Amino acid sequence: MSFSSNAQDQKGTIRGSVFDDVSGEALIGVTVQVKNNTSGSVTDFDGKFNINILPGTYDLIISYVSYRTTTVTGVEVKSGSVTLVENIRLQEDVQTLESVVVTAEAIRNSESAILTVKRKAPILVDGISSAKFSQIGDSDASEAVKRVTGVSVEGGKYVFVRGLGDRYTKTTLNSVDVPGLDPDRNSIQIDIFPTSLIENMMVLKSSSADLPADFTGGVVNIETKDFPEVKTFNVSASVGYNPSMHFRDDHFTYKGGKNDWLGFDDGTRQLPAGATNSVFPSPGAPGVTSQDVNSFLKGFNKTMGTQDQKSLMDYSFGISSANQKNFDNGTSLGYIFSTTYKSSTVFYDDAFYGEYQRPAFADEYELIYATTQEGAITERNSLWGSLAGLAYKTQNSKYKLSALHLQNGEKRAARFFIDDNGSAVGKSGFFGGSENLEFSQRGVTNILLSGEHHTSDKGWSIDWKVSPTISKIVEPDIRKTAFTYTSSDTVFSSGAAGNPSRIWRYLDEINLVSKVDFKKNYQLFNKAASLKFGASHTFKERDFEILTYNMQFFGSQPEFNGNSNVIMDDQFLYPNGSVYFSSGNPDPNSNSFNSTVSNTAFYVSNDFQIIDKLKAIIGVRAENFVQRHTGRDGVYANGDVVNGRNLDDAIVLDALHFFPSGNFIYNYRDNQNLRLSYSKTIARPSFKELSFAQILDPVSNRTFNGGLFKFPDWDGNLRETLIDNFDIRWEKYMKKGELFSVSVFYKKFADPIELVRLSVAQTTNEFQPRNVGDGQILGAEFEFRKSLDFAGPVFRKLFASGNLTFVDSRIDMTDQEYNVRKAYQKNGQELKRTREMAGQAPYIINVGLSYEDPENGFDGGLFYNVNGPTLTVVGGGLFPDVYAEPFNSLNFNLSKSFGPDKKTSITFNVSNILDDVRENFFVGFNAQDQYYSRLNPGRSISLGLKYNLN
Amino acid sequence: MKKFLSMIAIASVLAFTWACDDEEATPDRPTITAPAALDVLIGESTDLTFTVSIPGGFKSASVTATGGEAEVSAALTAGAVSGDIVVTFAANEEAGDATISLTVIDNNDKEDLKEVVVTKGNQVTITSNITANTTWKTGVVYVLGGRITVINGVTLTIEPGTVIKGQAGTGANATALLVARGGKLMAEGTAASPIIFTSVADELQPGQIVSPNLEPTVNGLWGGVIVLGSAPISASSSGSQLSEVQIEGIPATDANGLYGGNNKTDNSGIIRYVSIRHGGANIGSGNEINGLTLGGVGSGTVIENIEVVANQDDGIEFFGGTVSVTNALVWNSFDDALDTDQAYNGTVSNFVIVAPNTGSGFELDGPEGTYKDGDHKFMNGTVYAGANIADLIDFDANTNVQMSNIYFYGISNNTDVKEYAAMIAFANSTSSVAGFQYTLPAEKSAATVFAGIPADKLTAVAANANTLGANLTSFTWTWARQSGALAGIGL
Repeated sequence: MSFSSNAQDQKGTIRGSVFDDVSGEALIGVTVQVKNNTSGSVTDFDGKFNINILPGTYDLIISYVSYRTTTVTGVEVKSGSVTLVENIRLQEDVQTLESVVVTAEAIRNSESAILTVKRKAPILVDGISSAKFSQIGDSDASEAVKRVTGVSVEGGKYVFVRGLGDRYTKTTLNSVDVPGLDPDRNSIQIDIFPTSLIENMMVLKSSSADLPADFTGGVVNIETKDFPEVKTFNVSASVGYNPSMHFRDDHFTYKGGKNDWLGFDDGTRQLPAGATNSVFPSPGAPGVTSQDVNSFLKGFNKTMGTQDQKSLMDYSFGISSANQKNFDNGTSLGYIFSTTYKSSTVFYDDAFYGEYQRPAFADEYELIYATTQEGAITERNSLWGSLAGLAYKTQNSKYKLSALHLQNGEKRAARFFIDDNGSAVGKSGFFGGSENLEFSQRGVTNILLSGEHHTSDKGWSIDWKVSPTISKIVEPDIRKTAFTYTSSDTVFSSGAAGNPSRIWRYLDEINLVSKVDFKKNYQLFNKAASLKFGASHTFKERDFEILTYNMQFFGSQPEFNGNSNVIMDDQFLYPNGSVYFSSGNPDPNSNSFNSTVSNTAFYVSNDFQIIDKLKAIIGVRAENFVQRHTGRDGVYANGDVVNGRNLDDAIVLDALHFFPSGNFIYNYRDNQNLRLSYSKTIARPSFKELSFAQILDPVSNRTFNGGLFKFPDWDGNLRETLIDNFDIRWEKYMKKGELFSVSVFYKKFADPIELVRLSVAQTTNEFQPRNVGDGQILGAEFEFRKSLDFAGPVFRKLFASGNLTFVDSRIDMTDQEYNVRKAYQKNGQELKRTREMAGQAPYIINVGLSYEDPENGFDGGLFYNVNGPTLTVVGGGLFPDVYAEPFNSLNFNLSKSFGPDKKTSITFNVSNILDDVRENFFVGFNAQDQYYSRLNPGRSISLGLKYNLN
Repeated sequence: MKKFLSMIAIASVLAFTWACDDEEATPDRPTITAPAALDVLIGESTDLTFTVSIPGGFKSASVTATGGEAEVSAALTAGAVSGDIVVTFAANEEAGDATISLTVIDNNDKEDLKEVVVTKGNQVTITSNITANTTWKTGVVYVLGGRITVINGVTLTIEPGTVIKGQAGTGANATALLVARGGKLMAEGTAASPIIFTSVADELQPGQIVSPNLEPTVNGLWGGVIVLGSAPISASSSGSQLSEVQIEGIPATDANGLYGGNNKTDNSGIIRYVSIRHGGANIGSGNEINGLTLGGVGSGTVIENIEVVANQDDGIEFFGGTVSVTNALVWNSFDDALDTDQAYNGTVSNFVIVAPNTGSGFELDGPEGTYKDGDHKFMNGTVYAGANIADLIDFDANTNVQMSNIYFYGISNNTDVKEYAAMIAFANSTSSVAGFQYTLPAEKSAATVFAGIPADKLTAVAANANTLGANLTSFTWTWARQSGALAGIGL
């Protein structure tokens, strides 16, 4: 066996794909003959063909039974390189059998067939494919996906569909749920995928039985290439500059480890030996000498404070390579490889966190501040990612193996001035200054093995996937040092700003997804139909632990003069001095848990034509979901085995649910569709939500409490949310990808989960996820993409596109919530039994203006996104509701590729042109809004360069 | 060699068998299997189970003991050949080893005797909440292994002279004694035998007042004592329906930390002659445990003769409630000595404050909610400010307090009184001060230190020549007195 390209170096290659013009389906077994030449090929089950031929310009004759024979003219073949003739569309025509002639150039600029498929499909799908990437200069997936209408990208990393929050949007890789760097999010960050390795990105807005039932708002799937059409070897680099963050002398950080830039801690922040001993080495503990205490204390990192350091700018570089080899026996091997490194520096020099309270009296309106923290936060974010994939195709089968690793290190430092108001409820009243040091080390490794098999008659196909993922997060030695400023001194005061504290957090998760799908093509009512059925199993296991240590003084406190970096000097450590650490970790630790999930699913769905022009997919999915938990509450961990609660691999969620779905498309006029869909879906509590974890964010001083804790007004039984989704959509497709659509959707939520502020805790800031009253949303969505050519030929390359969504959401308040609101009702305030849903914006606007000139490799756009004021934290009682202020995000990007082969491309982006600030406000009746949080991302510009060495 | 060994083995077996056969003529003597050595708390009883085998038939059993009293509480029926004999041992009040000897006699008057050593400890670790009425005994050291809660409907009685020691810990791991709403603490010490709450790092033993190893400045070694009740508090806007909230220092996830209600005369028990030391573990910023926390405690509760030494947070903090406290001494608090919040409505009389550090002498707040029912009172007190006090008195504009007959001295830093004028001017205020005596260094003026308080309410006296203030005879039992610290400041 030999590589054909090696054996005949002087030859070139023609590669292409053939589709049904109407349905967009790949055509299998199509004969592709080179005119006046003996060379030829037959398309495989992906509709693809491959011809090796001597350099020259050829015509291809494409013929297939009952289709019009099509001739593609002007296919130019160069020695040793690949010429692509993708998306050849064959028209079915039994009457005339007249042949069609198109030029290779015309085919290159035609719409991707996969989008045609999707447009005709009963499921509501949109997307962008590799054919488009080759025309535009986007270097990674996060840039490219913005071109899909209705999609917004948060922080350059995470995709949101229709403005729905993270709980209701999910990103999958090759149709498999891959936990991202933050396993509490549904999404994997997409900025590490170079466009050169992506086959397509599809955005699904309605659910069907073959999709996981926890679909609610949208799913974004990234499909990596298996058989790259042309050989590429790209190198890319970019720099980003944010004037409000970079090259600033007042930027600061703290002394970290040597490998922080690689996303690993080098041991600088390790937990000292003895920290988890059953007898903790503190003064006076039984069997512990003062020398034991001293050597334990010396095991801690001595750095407790920040230090000034000029900030750098953002930069990234990456390489990617891809190719396929065709063997003489008709098999093919494809590979992709990429590695990316990104470093970014964030500096919020004007950060603000506030806690405000409602006044007690009905005739007092203005909110009262409890604590405000004003200061600066810095972040140095290092990320590298590597992706490798291998694919092998035979006559009837395809195998794919891919591996992905992401490694991220985020080093954060913060300085805050704290103003605590003694007149506020539960507050002691003080001034203080805090320094926070954090490092978050995250790694995720995913392997995917998949196969696809077709019967020779193409009637059956089988698809299977096995995908293990390992995620690991370590947040070692999160430090907070807060001095209290008294009238005469700067000291540590536990009753005020608190004593210095250190926290270690560990999270390990494994995730194993296996699934198999069967598809049978057959005739129903004399029309093509397909029956799909399959099964999947997901197993997940998470281990989580938090360890906390607080500084104490055995006797009088040394004079530190407010210098946090001398606190751990040897002279101050017990028994030389009075400094020691006390353990905040009961044995067993209440802040550690092990949880598993086992989700077994079966589905069957049928894709068929009911009558002419009316297609449907009707299916049902069953999921048996079992979540188990091993953990305990603080009462048990404190030793009270009688009254405390301890779960030992106990089932905390066990449900078999059926999820019917129906998607209908009525293609009543050419390019006009009426769609109707219904699906039942589910949103389940996460591991963290269904636990006894208590997670303190030392920066904002807010604590997350797991949903298993019982309160007088909460039974500790956090349940899943079942959702009924209804969608009606009218859409019209026009030339050049123009689109106009109007949708109305209604979703009914049973027991939605929201993060609720605990109203009985007035001294601390406590939150808990709870099921609240039933909810519903009614929305209207308008989507358009329109060429501006009507304004004159100058504008023919300009497109306006947008997605406007308006939503009315409503939650029935629980009696408890209503009563605590009633207690704080103000004179003149009307109190309803319902309110909007947390996390649901009343309106979402995504509009863009883009310029597309693929012939000249020129592409640019101006994109605007805003979400209406969104309830983010449900208050109650003393605590007002918190709303996210609309963030007016206006971004510009421009790309230009150079040369006849477009080997070089340059991108230029400006983000947050309006220089808007991310703000959340406490909102009270008849009162001025007050800050909950404020972070200013600033305006940033970036410049990127990509070059194909091949 | 091998053969030789096996022959010896066979011979031994034969010899053994023959010997046994010989014994069959009369039954074996009784054999007693003794229980494993065990620990018992002084003054407490325990049962020991001996397993006996009496081939000759049971006739009688007898028991003797040193270090306590023992008796056979369950013997066997006559003639029984095997069974369990239960001995009940009541330890005396002295720590140390006790021995219990059981003798069993069979019908052939053959006997066996077995001795068990029991260690009488005077220290026991408490790890479970108090969910049934319980008494902690004189002379015993009870170690708090966690946050121990006396739950609703249950009474914990602590006898005089008992020592309670908290283990080290912070945050969720902090140790404390928490009396939940509806629970009762009957901690009635005496002047001769006070009840002492301290840390496990303290080598103090029952009967001692002065710690043999810890300085009276060491704080934060454990939590503190928290008593919660259902008397009214002013913590929210709730109209006529009085609210409940979570006490600071207890994680919000422990519902036993709720306090407040409608019962003004609520009774949480009696706390008398109690010294609380070295507490105030750090829970989180702005969230800590006071020496004695009184949340919504009702007037049916008796609290008198209290000493709080070296607490990392406040000495005594009142969150609403109607309870009164008589004879209280707070020494070396690392925050405020006496702290009131949420419209506290009781009286603190005859009190001494010595050298608060970082915090104020008095941190007096008013209602936080809409509820208010008159003023709380501080009367007959002596305040030694010391070098590190923050404010002498920190009033708020809406503080509801009446203070009278208090002597202030030992003032050396820039401490003063905050917001007195604003409080008097506050709408419908009935707050007042009267009968303040003071001794100031020459360079300080009363007008500055007692900012806003009219001169007619202030009288300068020579050091310790005050004619009003605390009656010190009530404090002779305290560590502060017995260590000489009070004498050192002229008290």
